[in-house]
Amino acid sequence: MGDSTKKWFSLNLGNSNTKPSGSCGCGNPSGGCGSHNSENADVNAIGEERHKDGFEQVFDVKMDRRSAFKKLTASLMVGAGAVTTSCSVIVGEETKEKAQIDWEEQFKGNYKLMSDEEKNGTVDRLVRSYQLRTGKTISLSSKNAEEDVLFGYAFNISKCQGYMDCVTACVEENNQDRSSQMEYIRIHEMKDGKGFNFNEADDNYYHEVPAEGHFYMGTQCFHCDNPPCVEVCPVQATWREDDGLVVVDYDWCVGCRYCMAACPYDGRRFNWSTPEVPEEEVNKNQHYLGNRMRKKGVVEKCTFCVQRSRAGKNPACVEACPTGARIFGNLLDPDSTIRWVLENKKVFRLKEDLGTEPKFWYFMD
Amino acid sequence: MKDKYHILYTLSGLFLVASFFSSCKHQEHEYHSITDKIEAESKNYQGTSISSEDFIGDIKTLEISEGAHTFLIPERKSQIKSYACTECHSKSLAQMQNGNEAKKAHWDLRLNHADANTMNCVTCHDGSSMDNLTSLTGNTLGFNHSYQLCAQCHTSQFDDWKGGAHGKKIASWAPPRASMTCVNCHNPHNPGFKSRWPARFNTQTEKERR
Repeated sequence: MGDSTKKWFSLNLGNSNTKPSGSCGCGNPSGGCGSHNSENADVNAIGEERHKDGFEQVFDVKMDRRSAFKKLTASLMVGAGAVTTSCSVIVGEETKEKAQIDWEEQFKGNYKLMSDEEKNGTVDRLVRSYQLRTGKTISLSSKNAEEDVLFGYAFNISKCQGYMDCVTACVEENNQDRSSQMEYIRIHEMKDGKGFNFNEADDNYYHEVPAEGHFYMGTQCFHCDNPPCVEVCPVQATWREDDGLVVVDYDWCVGCRYCMAACPYDGRRFNWSTPEVPEEEVNKNQHYLGNRMRKKGVVEKCTFCVQRSRAGKNPACVEACPTGARIFGNLLDPDSTIRWVLENKKVFRLKEDLGTEPKFWYFMD
Repeated sequence: MKDKYHILYTLSGLFLVASFFSSCKHQEHEYHSITDKIEAESKNYQGTSISSEDFIGDIKTLEISEGAHTFLIPERKSQIKSYACTECHSKSLAQMQNGNEAKKAHWDLRLNHADANTMNCVTCHDGSSMDNLTSLTGNTLGFNHSYQLCAQCHTSQFDDWKGGAHGKKIASWAPPRASMTCVNCHNPHNPGFKSRWPARFNTQTEKERR
């Protein structure tokens, strides 16, 4: 149908080429819906099948002049630093190496697109960089998701006493910023008989616990199977791994905090300042997607302690809980305790009606 | 010309119907819900390469089978400081009570577990053979299997513990399952959890919300 036959006035908003009709109920011709992916090979967004290296991922995307200049300037700064140090005869070998690392880190790609080799490369660079800066050696893992594993969590509301040992263990394990006292876990003190009323609950109490007439309910990132935070990320710096963990690439995050707005559970935290952890308190057993040191202006959250859980250990909160209110395990293992809980206790999740499918269940004795 | 439009309309109509039936199937939304996904994907569960054995460490364990559940619990006897009890308690309780020279022992233990009508020392300890425990019906139970004593009254907790809803696992989520036994968390003489102050208080949050 040409424009001449049109009986109504339509506003030209600049998209002159009309959308080709989609082949699917979602109406979206590409990208947004998974059923197109086989036909559409030439999609620009990061995360599509064609492999792009870091440089392409930085520059081979549509951007306006301002952000293009910003990126170029940032890269040029690093480049200039690298050039001056490498050409200079005065600076030591270490400074040159540091500049080299900075250069390569600047142009590395999105972690989720990296091959195992590239993952090891960036991990080695980050370990070396930490060594050069602090003189200390960390162990940084890039372990991938294990086959046949889907992590799930259950929280026993009748057992939690509100001791907050989990919160302390979490902060120590995950190297959260000490100055802003960032905490992934919140324990909500709720009045008996008022239901799950988060508006009236107190998540920063300080008195002898358990308080008379109250119960305690912990929240953290629920690692939704249909995570809204992942959907809204404009740069695909956060995604769901095959073992169900929703993770963040801190080096790819631009700090827009869309994910924080999208999360219905207040699961994400933002680094308003450069995170500080006293050197002697740094947990040196780290994972790229987990508790490695973050920088200013990136979002972070609970990763079910990916550095521990992928190795086979329980997350720090589970280990620290003195009451056994926290249960963690493999949802795909029919003999696991988490499966027994799901099949034999009366479990529920928060805001189930949103369809986010959190993998974090609550139950009572 | 009219024919052309007719074909177009028919095609678009067919397309509408088709799109109605083929609802949008996102890659990640292959299943209707997470429970469906778990059920489907665990059907051909092969097991993982990860084992809990690396994390149990020096803890000596023993395997128990209760109902449909078989798992490891920590061995207890080697953890009791002055086991065997008969190293001191050479006489039975009855003989000790008869003698005048009886020394008062375990004076620091105060039983705070149910009331005096329900429990005293010999409800669990075997008065005639101190190295063992005794069930309500007088059967001998070893210290390694003390959970069987607890299960006599705490039946619902026992069911939850067997399944894994009550209590903690040792170090790892991976199989083989190793769980703590009752006395690893509860003092049998004083089993309740005490009230205390929280481990931390967030002064920054307090400031921000003021």
